[in-house]
Amino acid sequence: MENRKHQASVKKTTSFAGRFFAYLIMVIFAIMTVYPIFWLIMNSFKTTREFQLNQIGFPKDFTLSNYVEAWKMGDFGLLFPNSLIYTGGATIGIIFFSLLAGFALGKLHSRATKPIYGSFMIGILLTTQTLMIPLFLEVNMLGIYNTRFAVLLVYIGSGLPLGIYLATEYIRSIPTALIESARIDGAGFFTIFKRIIVPMSKPVSTTIAILNISNIWNEFAIINILVSKTELKSLPLGIYKFSGSLSTDYGKQFAALTIGMVPMLVFYIIFRKQITKGVAAGAIKG
Amino acid sequence: MKRVRNYREETKAYWAMVLPGLLIYLVVMAFPIILSAVLSVSDYSGGKMFRGEPWGYNGFQAYISLFKDPWFWNALKNNMYIVLVSVFGQLPLGFIFAYFIYAKLVKAPNFWQGILYVPNIISVIVVGLLWQTIFSPHGPIAEVMNTINRNQFQSQLKALFASSGGYAPTKEIAAKILQMVGPTGEAMFSDPVPELAELLASYNGQPFQAVLDGLTNLFAPRWTPTFLSQNNVAMLPILFVILWMYTGMYMVLFLANMQKIDSQIIEAARIDGASEGQVMRHIILPSLSGTIVNSAILAISGSLSSFSLVYSMTGGGPSRVTEILAIYMYNKAFLGRPNFPLANAISLIMVLISFLLIVLTKVAEKRFGGREE
Repeated sequence: MENRKHQASVKKTTSFAGRFFAYLIMVIFAIMTVYPIFWLIMNSFKTTREFQLNQIGFPKDFTLSNYVEAWKMGDFGLLFPNSLIYTGGATIGIIFFSLLAGFALGKLHSRATKPIYGSFMIGILLTTQTLMIPLFLEVNMLGIYNTRFAVLLVYIGSGLPLGIYLATEYIRSIPTALIESARIDGAGFFTIFKRIIVPMSKPVSTTIAILNISNIWNEFAIINILVSKTELKSLPLGIYKFSGSLSTDYGKQFAALTIGMVPMLVFYIIFRKQITKGVAAGAIKG
Repeated sequence: MKRVRNYREETKAYWAMVLPGLLIYLVVMAFPIILSAVLSVSDYSGGKMFRGEPWGYNGFQAYISLFKDPWFWNALKNNMYIVLVSVFGQLPLGFIFAYFIYAKLVKAPNFWQGILYVPNIISVIVVGLLWQTIFSPHGPIAEVMNTINRNQFQSQLKALFASSGGYAPTKEIAAKILQMVGPTGEAMFSDPVPELAELLASYNGQPFQAVLDGLTNLFAPRWTPTFLSQNNVAMLPILFVILWMYTGMYMVLFLANMQKIDSQIIEAARIDGASEGQVMRHIILPSLSGTIVNSAILAISGSLSSFSLVYSMTGGGPSRVTEILAIYMYNKAFLGRPNFPLANAISLIMVLISFLLIVLTKVAEKRFGGREE
């Protein structure tokens, strides 16, 4: 709250012209950001014919048929649950393994901690996309191509470095006295993990979840090389189908894009605060 | 306290907790790197890796042909463009927006943050396909441009009729119209002037507006995004979309770190008579130097992972000019006859770039006083 008092003086010194200029730029950029999304949603309610005649205006004969057809053509009835499984499963997996390893790395004593922690740190800047081809070959070699297991495994593996970094740093800040006194009372390490670490790590678990949910839900490049069966695909793969032969069927394409976008928009509207906080906490770590 | 610690139990628990994560990490990240290193110097051409067709060492053949391929350098150049637009576009813009909010030049900080961050949350595939349509010859930009073209053409027509004493379906008028339209108009006819006069005469009895519309439909220049297929500018839409997508993220990052600056320092500087520019140069910029360097590194590593956006927006086209390294690699492995040694060589090169970035982060941390918490 002290900030507010001090920053009040910042405001006084800025001129009207400066503020006008700032508003102008912000408004232009905000419109450029929101309008295409708005335009997309609006046009998803037009027939392809109407879209060709009237791209900018509001829909005159409002139709939901695009959604019905896109849902069927994109097999979204199959892909939607898949996306939920991948996103939910991988997020829970990342959090679980991150907290588990974070507890050991942050609180238990071992000379292995330094090299192991260091190797996880390397992974933070390593994007799995660069490993697309060897991953594809490895998955084939292991005989897990076209399985949900492979998708979950790769997603969890890509999320672990950042997750472990955040979890370790957080768990380190939990008072050691708590753990020691539980030890005196005879609790084993796994009991301590379950009873103390997991409940106390809710904030960092939320951050890890926030950082991963939208990434995994939206992920395309990796799952594209891991599965080819429709019944294993996720939403982004289904949406991509609307780019090829269907790309001139604008009504359906827009409906498909909106279907892909809306869940994350809702997620964003509900968790906006946590998301922006999580990004600030987790994005720049080397 | 030390007395109660049972070292053997602790060691056991330690490994039981670390190993699951470590194993997954090794399988997903470490092993593929080793695999790509091995395969890049092999003659492996697909099929079963073991007990399949035998394959062996093939030297640095893949790397040699990679460095000889002009398309590899083209892809690398496109990656560089993405880095440049990130470092000199997203970062400064994000910084400026963050400063606007931090300095209270604009009110409602949550509103602006909320809006500008939205593109980050949307699937890249959705973003790519959306902008592909927007930039397409059937998209809204084309519609707006065509409407402008039509209105302009109609007013030119009206001016032409007014200056030649009103409209009449004569050869003189037809010649004047053709002169105005230029060679594209003449190319529509085999004998332009009389044919157009005849066409004009066929409108006899219809309202004047019908003639105007007819001529506009026929002659008004149509906007086609030809610039998208020219080599030197085909990357522009992609770069624009990258700017559109991620500027908000850098704004959030910068703002979060600006808000950690002790405002009393700024206050004190102001009391001592420091100007806005001096505060920026001596207080805000130095305390954000770590964030700026890390953001730049993040931007470079981001350029290595823009596969999905380019894949959905252009697929590397037209005729390969917008390929980036990841697309180039993907096509080498999955398009036509797979060239796995080459694809793995590119993969390894990208990994090495990432390693270089990690080293850079460490150096930057030492130089700029480390990460902001």
